[in-house]
Amino acid sequence: MAQYGFHFNAQRCTGCKTCMLACKDFHDLPSAISFRQVYEYGGGAWSQNDRGLWTQDCFAYYLSVSCNHCSDPACTKVCPTGAMHKGEGGLVSVDRKKCIGCGYCALSCPYRAPKVDRSQGFSVKCDGCASRVLAGEKPVCVEACPLRALDFGEVSDLREAFGDAADLAPLPPSDATQPNLAITLPRHAARAAEGSIENAREIV
Amino acid sequence: MMTTGFETALGEITLVLFTTLAPSGVLGFSIMAGALAFGRFDRDVRSRINQFLCIPLMISMVGLIASATHLGNPANALYVFMGVGRSPLSTEVFCAVIFLFLAGVYWLYSFSQRQVVGLQRVWSVAIIAAGIAFVTAVAFAYDAETIVSWNTAYVPIGLWLNAVVGGPLVALLSFRAAKAEAIVGRYGPLLCGVSAVALVLNTAGYAMQGTALAGIENSFGTAADLVPFYGLAVAAFFVLCTAGVLSMQLAVRAGRIPDLARAAVSCALAYGGIFVMRFVFYMMHMTIGLGF
Repeated sequence: MAQYGFHFNAQRCTGCKTCMLACKDFHDLPSAISFRQVYEYGGGAWSQNDRGLWTQDCFAYYLSVSCNHCSDPACTKVCPTGAMHKGEGGLVSVDRKKCIGCGYCALSCPYRAPKVDRSQGFSVKCDGCASRVLAGEKPVCVEACPLRALDFGEVSDLREAFGDAADLAPLPPSDATQPNLAITLPRHAARAAEGSIENAREIV
Repeated sequence: MMTTGFETALGEITLVLFTTLAPSGVLGFSIMAGALAFGRFDRDVRSRINQFLCIPLMISMVGLIASATHLGNPANALYVFMGVGRSPLSTEVFCAVIFLFLAGVYWLYSFSQRQVVGLQRVWSVAIIAAGIAFVTAVAFAYDAETIVSWNTAYVPIGLWLNAVVGGPLVALLSFRAAKAEAIVGRYGPLLCGVSAVALVLNTAGYAMQGTALAGIENSFGTAADLVPFYGLAVAAFFVLCTAGVLSMQLAVRAGRIPDLARAAVSCALAYGGIFVMRFVFYMMHMTIGLGF
């Protein structure tokens, strides 16, 4: 069975957040819910040597993250009703006829993918723009990216083309849920352990 | 900047209430069921104890109803049973339904004109088993590997000890309400002692859990950041629960019978302490990656 996934090129992304906004627009999401988030991640500091000269070793990169339609999803494991399920193309989505809106999926996902829409009473999340994919198109975030930093397709093809890296701070270790994500690592990936999320207040 | 977990806990306030009220209520019911299963009483006393099972039953029911109010779509609730054994939440609901069914039907049966005491004894043992299963299911309800701050032994142990702190007090209140003076006089000090020992262990467990919080982290920060007043909360828990247990202990010492209002206040104090730590539990929610 085909398993779709995303590719993210951290060497191209400029953190413009067009992907987030296109997604919110397409899915008509309220301000408090976003299916895709862009994390600004950085580290380093300025330092002064004995002769008074200031230098810096700062680094930063962006990471655009949505649901990674994991092969071993935390959300489907804990969902009491089976509403959260893997469907066609291995895409994880919510069956609204079964969801009770308990929010356990949102509590357990290490990618912050599912959210409970209190106004509708059930969980909502990225479904990989399944309707567009079925029509032969790519998800709207991929189409909207002006840097072509996102791609979508069968994860085996993506990994063949871009490698199989899926571990990059601030993401959780990939062995936890086996995300279907292929990352082109940023230049400063080796220093990721020194960094921190710089835009935590923007994340919803 | 990392926010505290206050908003998370406030968002789950109905679950805070449920996990505060139900475990002690269920254990209180089970203690009473134990008395009914193995004790020898005259008919009137047995009948009053049967009927005042309504106190722990109501406490547990209020907790369960509170938890149901946080659901967005209760109409789909029957699908919950599809996940029994797979989802810990389904297992918890299943155990809750079994317990409440057994306990509720027993209570209704206690109003019957012709009661078969032998049947009630067997039924009481079944209720105790269902109660133990229910409290255990609540203790493990959020046992998900990706939620690092909850996926520790401290969580189920803490919840079970909460139940052992509050349960004996609820049982004593209910025995007192049922005017079962012989039980209160004979077993009151023992039940208060059990509650006191559980309180000491519970507080020690919370202290140890507190030292571990700084080491639990994801990219947003540490679990300790989420609960900035953890030490104060544990102190409040200890003070409130100690006040509750002591108040009951002083009232039942030397075989005396406590005033009903005093017994109720003792329970309320213990519940206040447990509520604080259940709120803290939801505050410390954190996943391995990007969740807090």
